Amino acid sequence: MSKNNELVDDLVAKLKRRQLVGSSTVSQATLKLLIVVISRSNWTTANQLLTLVKSVGQRLIQANPTELAVGNIIRRVLHVIREEFREADSNASSHRNKSTESSHPTSLTTSSSMYNLLGETGSTVNDNVQYPSSLRSNIIQEIREIKDELENIYDNIKNQALLQIHSNEIIMTIGRSKTVEEFLKMAAAKRKFQVLVAETAPSYSGQEMALELSKAGIETTVIPDSAVFAVMSRVNKVILGTHAVLANGGLVAISGTHMMAAAAKHHSIPVVVCTGLYKLSPLYPYDEDSFNVIFNPDSVLGFEEGDLVEKVTVTNPYYDYVSPDFVNLFITNQGGHPPSYLYRLIVENYDPNDHTFDL
Amino acid sequence: MPPKEKMESTEQVLQAVILADSFDSRFQPITLETARCLLPLCNVPLISYTFEFLAVAGVQEVFVYCCSHSEKVKAFVREYGQQSNMRIHTIVSQELMSVGDAMRDLDAKQLIDTDFILVTGDVVSNMKLDKVLEEHRVRRQADKSAIMTMVLKKASYQHRSRAVGDGSLIVLDQATKECLHYQPIKAFKTTRQDRRMTMDMEIFDKHPEVQIRNDLIDCQIDICSVEVPALFTENFDYQDIRADFVDGILTSDLLGKTIHFYEVNDVYAARVRSTQMYDAVSKDIISRWTFPMVPDSNLQAGDSYQYRRGLVYKEQGVVLSRTSVVEEKVVIGNNTQINEKSVLSNCVIGKNCFIGANVKIDNAYIWDDVVIGDNCNIQHSIIAKGAVLEEGVTISKGCLISFDVTIGANTTVPPYTRLTTLPEGDEDDEDEELELISDPLFVGATGRGRSFKEAAVSDDDDFDDTDGDHDPRNKQVNRLAFDLSQVRISNQKLDEDSVSEFESEASDLEEETTNPAEDLDREVSQTLERAFREQHEVEIAALELNTLRMASNSSFQEMRKRIIPSVLKHIDMAAPAPAAGAVKANGRSVKEVLQRWGPLIGKMIHDDSDQVDGLLVLQRSCAQLQQEWPQHQGVSQKVFAPALRYFYDQDIFEEDSILSWFHSERSQQGTDAEKKLREVATPMIQFLEQSDSEDEDDEDDEEDEDEDEDEE
Repeated sequence: MSKNNELVDDLVAKLKRRQLVGSSTVSQATLKLLIVVISRSNWTTANQLLTLVKSVGQRLIQANPTELAVGNIIRRVLHVIREEFREADSNASSHRNKSTESSHPTSLTTSSSMYNLLGETGSTVNDNVQYPSSLRSNIIQEIREIKDELENIYDNIKNQALLQIHSNEIIMTIGRSKTVEEFLKMAAAKRKFQVLVAETAPSYSGQEMALELSKAGIETTVIPDSAVFAVMSRVNKVILGTHAVLANGGLVAISGTHMMAAAAKHHSIPVVVCTGLYKLSPLYPYDEDSFNVIFNPDSVLGFEEGDLVEKVTVTNPYYDYVSPDFVNLFITNQGGHPPSYLYRLIVENYDPNDHTFDL
Repeated sequence: MPPKEKMESTEQVLQAVILADSFDSRFQPITLETARCLLPLCNVPLISYTFEFLAVAGVQEVFVYCCSHSEKVKAFVREYGQQSNMRIHTIVSQELMSVGDAMRDLDAKQLIDTDFILVTGDVVSNMKLDKVLEEHRVRRQADKSAIMTMVLKKASYQHRSRAVGDGSLIVLDQATKECLHYQPIKAFKTTRQDRRMTMDMEIFDKHPEVQIRNDLIDCQIDICSVEVPALFTENFDYQDIRADFVDGILTSDLLGKTIHFYEVNDVYAARVRSTQMYDAVSKDIISRWTFPMVPDSNLQAGDSYQYRRGLVYKEQGVVLSRTSVVEEKVVIGNNTQINEKSVLSNCVIGKNCFIGANVKIDNAYIWDDVVIGDNCNIQHSIIAKGAVLEEGVTISKGCLISFDVTIGANTTVPPYTRLTTLPEGDEDDEDEELELISDPLFVGATGRGRSFKEAAVSDDDDFDDTDGDHDPRNKQVNRLAFDLSQVRISNQKLDEDSVSEFESEASDLEEETTNPAEDLDREVSQTLERAFREQHEVEIAALELNTLRMASNSSFQEMRKRIIPSVLKHIDMAAPAPAAGAVKANGRSVKEVLQRWGPLIGKMIHDDSDQVDGLLVLQRSCAQLQQEWPQHQGVSQKVFAPALRYFYDQDIFEEDSILSWFHSERSQQGTDAEKKLREVATPMIQFLEQSDSEDEDDEDDEEDEDEDEDEE
């Protein structure tokens, strides 16, 4: 147990110090930690396990609340745990049902049905049932599947590339996103198209992105951020990466994205967002700053400019909030969805009881 | 995705030493009751920032040196160590008086077996040390004599995060990353020594390119090798790591050690050395320069700060009244209540505070558990834990209100006041139960506390300032809310030129060149006056003047320029010509003065070029004499001719020199008076040209003399 605590402490510290950042990195680290914690700890009932995972989750989320993927992974794991317990429960009761009449009609149906949404939620798991010893390994197995999903996320997304990108199109993107990079590279294998990359000041991650794309033989042009609106009329499609997708379909994406999406809307250019489902969060943005990170102003105004530093307040937000009406399509590892469909994905992937982690 | 930051894994255990004691008294009276490193900075103890900085650097073992209030530091470190993955040891030693003592103790205890990081307990930095460490290690492998790497941060001259008065001039070689010379700079340079930089010329031989930099913040983060503590033991008089150690190593030829630097640009690093820096660093943290060490990353376990627009950070349990206004750059701790119509801007407010209605707080730092009554106004001050301000109190800028002070209703506390509840008396004698005598002038009728006077200079402040004169203004500059314009008003007794000097560095340079010349002028004329008045022997006067010349490092030419006119001025035109043979020693006629003091001028003249120059000076000084004696006619000629002859007689000016003077261009230029004098000399020149080596001088001389006397 203390060994577990040490591991949790370690990850908490790394998240807090921003030694681990980026949705993909943190979600894999979280999953790895959860596998260890679940397999090593002693638990017998569903509530014990749920409380354990929740308490770990709460600490991780507090360590860096802007890494929404951490919370998402924990919710996915909680969901899996509930499912497994429910299944075990229903198995046990169906054994009993052979002799007596069923008292658990809901447990026969799958959780994602309409009935489950409206009717009795299966969250009140029975604590008195003796669960089979295979339960632990089943849960671990399910979590490993999430892990595999995370590892293969790019493959699932990039396979849809040919449906989206056609020959001789001009694509615009911003910032550096591994997902978008893979997506474009996949399309470039079959088709010839042109990519415009906004340089994405002040991090200039767009320049790195352009370098990667041009290495893959894609015709790439770096444009200054200020030119985005000017060239938008010539663009056929805007393909964006994102840091997180919120429950309403809004994006938390690198700063500059909102400007690009707004320009695209003005010119009626379709905006496509490539994202793994692990970035989909059941949280709502209550204000535009709620999931943002305000960085060091150094990259905007050098610290050595003594006089100015005192007189000017510089905010350097790392992310933009992009409202859902700017987005036309989400391409996830489960296929393409319009923003209005996201609620359904949330229901399928997370349990409504886990949206907040109150113990 | 945000930039990824990786942790450098090292095979060896990375060790660090924190000097938790500041060895000065800038935060008094607050630091009389707790240690400097435990003061809350944006509601987090100062040393937490240092621990965090080291933890990010991958340090596994930390030694904390503490002296004053060691119990409190120890207790804090014990608690902190439980939730940290670093091994933290506290070393308490009451005898520590300086950094040097701590290092010697470190050497004696042999705690360190590898290169280590040396920081003070008040460093705030978001720097990652892996590159510095790497560079240091590579350099160490190549060259064993590279014993230390200093981390320097670039920032412009007027930067708020530069500790005023703690600046330093650093000479660097960018190619080898070597630090070549180090010199601390004071804010007010009163002595000549302060204004000058002395550097070994050898530096220029060894290094083709050097930089002299004043735009670096020295945040005293050093990577030291194991030799460093040993060197402190060897040189037992070293106190300060910079002024003594770095300077000592760099100027010592025997040790053959080198000190290197690492310049950082895009990261933050600063030390909370003074109340002024406390203010600056707090503002930097609130403005997020220290990211990710910002309030909303909740360094301290249990904190729950959240970022709001306008750089406002609030904890969950803050109660803000509907009509209160929280402007920009504010940090508010948990369970603090702020009532109607109170306005907060640029301030930090601790936990469990109560702030009444209609209170204005600007630029202030209010720690935990403070109660502020209605209608208070607080400007640019620090109010420590547990203080109570009753209704209508006004705190002016620059005040330090220490723990548990109570200020009675409707009191106005004047600027730069320091209040404490500790009874007066010897601060070290804590056993003595002294009664606190409250000072109603400062704390009001119902208040509790007394004004704290700073200790005398001698037992105070930086040990590196012990050398002689200490400008009191240098202590003021690093105070909270210190304003340069304030100094000029409050310190009128100080001579104006040093103030104006501080205003611009450029004018400083000018003064450097003119000042010594003026000094010399004054000194020479004083010496001569004394010689005239007290009838010194020529030898004695010459000795004095020569000493002056050497002291001011000036040439004989400079001296001639001053001595000749002074001697000539001593001539009193009104004085009667003495009878032949009755030359009085203190007579002031032309002849007498020349006889008496001519040899002195002779002492300043050595070779041919000196003579020509001397003649030129004589010509010019005589020409100017006319102005001194407006009522006399032809003064210049009357002095010049006999003087010329006298010097010729005495072989002070030789024939060739007089001729070359006469023919030189410079003697023919100049004012009309000067040209006239040249003409006066014509007969003599003619004579000289004719006579060659004949021995007929006497006759002519007499003729000349007759002429002179006729003219008189």
